[in-house]
Amino acid sequence: MLSLLLRPINFATLGYVILIVAVISIVFAFLIVLVSKLCFVKEDEKVKAVSERLAGANCGGCGYAGCADFAKALAEGKAELCSCGATSNEQKQEIAKILDIPFSATTKTFAVVKCAGGVNAKDKFEYVGNSGCTAEITYAGGRKICPEGCLGGGNCVEACSDNGVKIADGVALVDKSLCVSCGACAKSCPKNLIEFIPVTAKVYVACSTKCRGKDVMSACQVGCIGCGLCARNCPEGAIEMVNNLPVINYEKCNGCKTCVLKCPRKTIKEI
Amino acid sequence: MAQFIMIIVSAMFINNFVVVQFLGICPFLGVSKDFKSALGMGLAVTFVMTLTCLITYPIYTLILVPLNIEYMEIIIFIFVIASLVQMIEMALKRFSPTLYNAMGIYLPLITTNCAVLGVAELVIDTKQIAGLIGIATGSMNIGFAVLYGLFAGLGFTLAIVLMSGLREKVARLPINKHLKGFPIAMIVACFIAMAFYVFALI
Repeated sequence: MLSLLLRPINFATLGYVILIVAVISIVFAFLIVLVSKLCFVKEDEKVKAVSERLAGANCGGCGYAGCADFAKALAEGKAELCSCGATSNEQKQEIAKILDIPFSATTKTFAVVKCAGGVNAKDKFEYVGNSGCTAEITYAGGRKICPEGCLGGGNCVEACSDNGVKIADGVALVDKSLCVSCGACAKSCPKNLIEFIPVTAKVYVACSTKCRGKDVMSACQVGCIGCGLCARNCPEGAIEMVNNLPVINYEKCNGCKTCVLKCPRKTIKEI
Repeated sequence: MAQFIMIIVSAMFINNFVVVQFLGICPFLGVSKDFKSALGMGLAVTFVMTLTCLITYPIYTLILVPLNIEYMEIIIFIFVIASLVQMIEMALKRFSPTLYNAMGIYLPLITTNCAVLGVAELVIDTKQIAGLIGIATGSMNIGFAVLYGLFAGLGFTLAIVLMSGLREKVARLPINKHLKGFPIAMIVACFIAMAFYVFALI
């Protein structure tokens, strides 16, 4: 090894090799410059400006491959600004100004799973098969008696790019601090149990059942029976019963949590 | 004609770049999660391999051999391939946006991929390549080199597409969570390699 290093260098050969390599590289460098001049594509300034102002979360909630793809679709008028949940309102306003499109501010939201069943809700059969909600729902709508019950198969867990959803006690749960409100989980849920509520909200209804109260009593320990106690006791009148389910008007709700205390089934939950 | 068939069988099956020679494993495992991107990657590799053979074979035989500097092959091949791919990418972006969208994102990834460099090194090794495709050592020419590059690339495409199909199926199976993802992909790759090994026994 040492003798190899100490061998005298033949500078004539070295120079000649360097020359040849240099000539080849210069030729290719010129070719690259030539091709880049010939094939110059003007990148749209607007697209660049828009993608700089997007959140850059690349969550895919808008349905495009990433923020860059979304920016392109926005500039071409194919996409709507409101389908992005991760970008702040100020940034969106700037984008709207750049692209000269109308924009109305939306309140910042986050996802909640409108079911708390899981281990509290009874099964009609034991499911043995491929994992995931999509596979399970093909067998008589899944194993839960309640047709609107979360199956806990984890479609939403896989859809979330921020690890913000986890399965606890057989039901999906969103971590508010990690949610960027992209909407990917809501799209992945075959039962449409995930909804978006304002970040200022203090309470939410963790049930989506359309069953009658008597059926709910036997099928689920935490399901809404439609008694209406929450609506009657709310001091602000923010709760209204629609199809036997309470609907909270978050503009009126002041977060007093009377409904949480009054609910006999603990269906209304604090955040 | 017999030589032509021999090149196809040799490059695609018997000496498949991925599962027999273990070259280009990184794209094989990295981009085989779904069928569409696997096909895009495979076609991009085929394209670059063919062009590589087309350009490095003459450079080797017409420049490096007469000047007695064959030992510079790797360095020169790397920057020739890299600059070529750069030019192709720019040209695609300008003249064929559709093709650019289909495989443009994979092109920079494979500029100096080991499979691409491997095919360039293989076609200039006259003795070995002549043995592989069953021709006399002296009769190797650029036509054979380009054909070999093309079918080696198609062999890569075949392997990565097979892999993606199996991985799509495996992803839906209820398997042990410690095996999910990468470990099961390695096991699947192992079975594909064993299946290809049968060709070597012909």
